[in-house]
Amino acid sequence: MDESNHWYGHSRILGRYCGLPDEAPKRIQGFLQHGWNYLHGFPPNDHWCSPGYPRFIWSDVLRRRGWSMGRRGHYLIGAPWIYLLYMEPELGVVPERNGTIWYPFHGWEKYSVIGDHARLADEIRNVETDPVTVCLYWLEFANPDIRRAYESRGFRVICHGERGSRWEVKGRDFLRKQLVQLRRHRRVASNRLGSALFYGASVGCDVAVYGDPMQFEDERPEYGGTARRMRLWPELHGTRVDPELAAETARRELGFEYQATPEELRRMFGWKRLREGAPPPGGGTRRPVKAAGALRGVRS
Amino acid sequence: MNEAPENVRLIGGEMLLWSDMSNMAGITDWRGTASELIGRMVPDSGRVLLVGPHPQALVDDVVERAPSAAMLLRSYPDACALAERHPELEVFCGRLEAFAAPEPYELVLALDGLLRTHSAEAPAAAWNESLGALADLVAPGGRLVLGVRNDLGVDRFMEARPADRDGGDDQWAPHGFDPSYPSGPGVLDSALEAAGLTVQRCYAAYPGRQAPRALLAREALAFDLPDALTFTLSARGGDRMLVADPLRLTRLVFRHRLGEELAPQWLVVATRPPWRARMVELPLGLVEQDSAVHELTHAGLRRLPDGEERPIPAGRVVEEILVEACAREDVRMVRELLTGLAAWVEAGGEPSAATDGLVYDGERFAALGPGPRPSTPPDPRIALCRILWRFAVRLLAAGHHHPWPWPLEADQLTLTLCGMAGRPCDPGDLDLARKLDAELGHPAELAEQAPTYRDLLGARDRLADQLTLALARISRLETKLSYRERELVRAKAKLRRSQRKATAYRRTLGYRLSRRLARPRKVARKVIRLLSG
Repeated sequence: MDESNHWYGHSRILGRYCGLPDEAPKRIQGFLQHGWNYLHGFPPNDHWCSPGYPRFIWSDVLRRRGWSMGRRGHYLIGAPWIYLLYMEPELGVVPERNGTIWYPFHGWEKYSVIGDHARLADEIRNVETDPVTVCLYWLEFANPDIRRAYESRGFRVICHGERGSRWEVKGRDFLRKQLVQLRRHRRVASNRLGSALFYGASVGCDVAVYGDPMQFEDERPEYGGTARRMRLWPELHGTRVDPELAAETARRELGFEYQATPEELRRMFGWKRLREGAPPPGGGTRRPVKAAGALRGVRS
Repeated sequence: MNEAPENVRLIGGEMLLWSDMSNMAGITDWRGTASELIGRMVPDSGRVLLVGPHPQALVDDVVERAPSAAMLLRSYPDACALAERHPELEVFCGRLEAFAAPEPYELVLALDGLLRTHSAEAPAAAWNESLGALADLVAPGGRLVLGVRNDLGVDRFMEARPADRDGGDDQWAPHGFDPSYPSGPGVLDSALEAAGLTVQRCYAAYPGRQAPRALLAREALAFDLPDALTFTLSARGGDRMLVADPLRLTRLVFRHRLGEELAPQWLVVATRPPWRARMVELPLGLVEQDSAVHELTHAGLRRLPDGEERPIPAGRVVEEILVEACAREDVRMVRELLTGLAAWVEAGGEPSAATDGLVYDGERFAALGPGPRPSTPPDPRIALCRILWRFAVRLLAAGHHHPWPWPLEADQLTLTLCGMAGRPCDPGDLDLARKLDAELGHPAELAEQAPTYRDLLGARDRLADQLTLALARISRLETKLSYRERELVRAKAKLRRSQRKATAYRRTLGYRLSRRLARPRKVARKVIRLLSG
């Protein structure tokens, strides 16, 4: 359907949850929200999300906001992360958690971020007392200058790898690696609220958001910028954040209450039909069409 | 004209070539609830008068119970037929205003109202004049039971083609222009008082004027009646075209506590003073459920004649909770509720229940009434599958919004719902569930029902939306297809190039030499392998 459905091993995790064989992940008939987002689950320029296909999103606020912006066809299933936690309750659990894992806000393959990593690293050193692991996105990890900015201050620098694609092995275990790291650390921090922070809060990490939030080269105004994040979640910003509050917010933002059953996901993703060889989705009624009843049975 | 039976008396205004019984659809089909109410009022000694056409069963019942009964009808053939059927009954034939009763009656029953007491032989009297004439027939201390159709009843304002404007033979003076016709319960009370009567009880008759199954007193309607009681009080009027779904409108009527003002029909019991001390107390309400009449009491429902009183289950109707969750695309609520429902079914819940016959108070499910028993107790999984299939059919038929993107037909939706409840079913289970539903009767959707006007508009809008979405999907798939075709062409060209290279390589001297050298060794290896077994 769309390449982003397979990023970070999302489709693979959901496939395993649905009991599908662990080969190349199947096509999901719809669009999977691939990262935490405070718009409607997708970027503002979401023209690639064709109408007529469902949008599988994480939380109800995104659905409401999306609906108000003219988007339809949302279906709430929560984040793929919650399915990973469901299947891996013990993965990476250590007797004693230690240190801080720090996720600097990252750019992506098309846009990089503008910001001073050296200054951010100084700030981290001033705040954090425990050992710090800095986790960079692969693009930044590949940049020796950025790596040096952190390594020179004594931080361990790691990378969870590329986010991958449907056909590549790369990125398959992205979230598993991230889970292992998060369960190893006592605290997760970033300069912006983001998926990693909520993932960490959901597995019991303390949370902190501080430092220069940095900017995309052409950040879209629809999000409302850093000021809006501060207005929406003032309690999650700072070097010390109430852990219970953070965990509760994470549960809501990652949609823990919306975990779907495997059978339901198989049917929603179009995986059931593929296996059964039934007609393609939306292929109309199989029974002969009767005038009024059939008309009333039809739905967009 | 044939000889009339001896017990028929023509009083003037009789209609010789007319029958009200030939058009039974127009006459209210009073059944169990009305019989029960009237049965409590028939005096041990005294005279009873029936005014206007009444259903045969009700007349038979009254004649049997009453020590002395008489009837007033405008139709001569109806009067003769009735007189032959009941030779002891005194039958007066003519119009109400021309009727001079020898002496007043202890009980006067005019359940059909006053409109069919008029005759084509004379100009129609105003409603309050007819009421005056009727009230004069009630003896002091006696009772009048009068049916009054509500011109603003919930069943009236959703008719696409109002029946009283279709120019039928009975509309020589069409109804609807008489300013004295009661415009509400208050006006009805005043009119009865002006006629010298005192209202004892005023019942609202539901679900429709054709066949009321419930009589609810004004005093009962003043309270917030439980959903379990009011949900069933709507009816779809056969093949008549409607403007909107009666169920949804009737639910609004009760939610807004307008049950009395918007009742399809009122049935008022009035007495002529003086009040008698031994006058029987009338019930708060009578409801027909599962072919038995129940009396509504302050504590619940009591099955008549001598059943136990049981409380009416509290909570909301499950179908309404689900429809609301679907409207808000709240799949979490659907999952939780269906999981709870599955647990209830597995714990021995009512096997014939359905989402439109269950209430949920947040903790417990309760069936609205004991339904028909299947011949063998069904597997809980099949029972649940049937409940969900029924819900899916009703949800799609009513055109409610729902969040499921793919299943456009009830069967697919049912399997998804079963999955959401954590009890996956396969098409084989669904067949069994459909068989179970057929065995239990009471189909989910009546196929011959005429769609309502709102349904048609809704269906048209949905089709338009669906077409837009389908076109968007086709356009996307076309783009993807073109891209894949380009990729395929590229891959084929690459393959051809590789094949050409391979052919050229096979022709080289080096390749051929290495093959020649390798072949004898291969043959030798094969022979050794064969020999060594």
